[in-house]
Amino acid sequence: MPAKVKENIFSTIIIEMRNDLELDAIIEDYLLGKLNPQETEAFETLRRNDAAVDHKVVSHKFFLESMETFAAQLRLKEQLNNIHAEIDVEGLATALRPHPSKVIQLWRKHKSAIAVAASFLVLSLVSVYSIQHNSKQKEQLVLLSNQVNKAIKTQNNLIRKINNTTNAAGKPAIQNSFGGTGFAISTNGYILTNLHVINGADSLYVQNNKGESFKVKSIYTDSQNDIAILKISDKNFNHLSSIPYSIKKTTSSIGETVYTLGYPKDDAVLGEGYVSSKNGFIGDTTQYQVSIPVNPGNSGGPLLDNNGNLVGIISGKPDQTEGAAFAIKSKYILEAMRAIPQDSLGSNKLSSSNKKSLLSGLKRTKQIEKLQDYVFMIKVYN
Amino acid sequence: MNNSLKSSVPTDREVILGILNNSEDTLNKLYKAYYVMVLQFILNNNGDEDDAKDVYQEAIIILYNKIKEGNFELSSKLKTYIYSVCRRIWLKKLSQNSKKAGNITDYEDVLVVEEDVETHEEKDAAFVKMQSALEHLGEPCKTIIQDFYIHNLSMQDICEKFGYTNTDNAKTQKYKCLQRLKKIFFQP
Repeated sequence: MPAKVKENIFSTIIIEMRNDLELDAIIEDYLLGKLNPQETEAFETLRRNDAAVDHKVVSHKFFLESMETFAAQLRLKEQLNNIHAEIDVEGLATALRPHPSKVIQLWRKHKSAIAVAASFLVLSLVSVYSIQHNSKQKEQLVLLSNQVNKAIKTQNNLIRKINNTTNAAGKPAIQNSFGGTGFAISTNGYILTNLHVINGADSLYVQNNKGESFKVKSIYTDSQNDIAILKISDKNFNHLSSIPYSIKKTTSSIGETVYTLGYPKDDAVLGEGYVSSKNGFIGDTTQYQVSIPVNPGNSGGPLLDNNGNLVGIISGKPDQTEGAAFAIKSKYILEAMRAIPQDSLGSNKLSSSNKKSLLSGLKRTKQIEKLQDYVFMIKVYN
Repeated sequence: MNNSLKSSVPTDREVILGILNNSEDTLNKLYKAYYVMVLQFILNNNGDEDDAKDVYQEAIIILYNKIKEGNFELSSKLKTYIYSVCRRIWLKKLSQNSKKAGNITDYEDVLVVEEDVETHEEKDAAFVKMQSALEHLGEPCKTIIQDFYIHNLSMQDICEKFGYTNTDNAKTQKYKCLQRLKKIFFQP
């Protein structure tokens, strides 16, 4: 008869101004679900009828929940402390603490700022150096252009004149050798360059990026478009692997990023810029004007867009406008290629296929790595 | 030490699943994975090892509770989250102690975690309240309550431990203690 006993207790509680301790015990048992169904029912009746008891239940419930959260948090903290005890805090702290030396502390704190300052310093040194270097070249150019102007007064094509000064500056004139750039249009040794680079040559050589020279013959010249095709006639020449660039079919828009690789000096130099005008010198529709810093020796170099499509051939620059250059549009490359016997180029030649070029999607550095095997220095002796 | 700490960095998913499954091993790995980062941050921003321990444990607890509540969305790296929480807590502590924060030397990206830290502070206030209530309770009540509610000892165990003649006596004692504790706890 436990239910009856409990019931008695309830009535006793109510009658005897509630024995608080007993009530607490019952409330806790109730909240923890330890009462049997009859007791639960009896207690719930009591709770409904007595607001004070109900209040006690609610507050005890809140208290138990607080206690539970507290206990959980305490256990977690204990666990964390145990883990913490396994760590060699002292050793780590010594290694990580700000160094007593002010210098090292400064270095650690301002590592990035110092790095920025240092790179700025290096950058400014480099730019000062290159400005000096440039001004030297400019002097040379002015000097040489004077000479050339005297020498080729009869020529009526102004571009040609500029172009001539362009290639002439590559090597001192006393040696009677000129320099320019050319690029492969087939894997079996056909190389395309500007006609003005090789004009009047006694003997022609090309040199690849490894420094190997090969004798070449001029196969085809197009004085209208200033294009020449050379063929390597050297036995030592190994066929190239497939041409990584293809000819761009559409005309480039103004603002398109383009770059060229050329030999204004003995090593290949990258020039980067954008198409600045759809027409070339005095509205010449066969050319683009591009904003790329080019130097004598860049003539004949390939002009490519970001996807490795051939946009044109660097051919010259205006004497008054700084930083601009002209490039023959790529469709004239195709015309020139069609003009020579098709069989001679072999199956693996430059094309204007819709296929993506092998350079497409690569970073500029990777593109150059691939490209440099196909760009040659043209050496002209006369 | 350094290497062994770094080598066992658990993936973020492992941490979340581990905590949901009450894995002590995961908690251990998590704790050790990012402790060095926080120690470095605190040491280099006017704090010591003890500060680092307090701040770091608070951050781990915040993360733990957030995961347990089931509303932790893995929108950023755990590492970034822990770092941001530690940074927030430490900046607050610095300003409370009116120490100059000056230029904070940062080592990681920082997320906005103000809300999480504030929610935790409210919960922590309840924790501190219960803790001080227990402190005020005095012995043997404090131990009896702790044994029953925190260490989950049975009344039988408590009866034997404290040498009561029977469990009813122990129970009565427990409820007396509980009544006093509640009185202190509910004091405004």
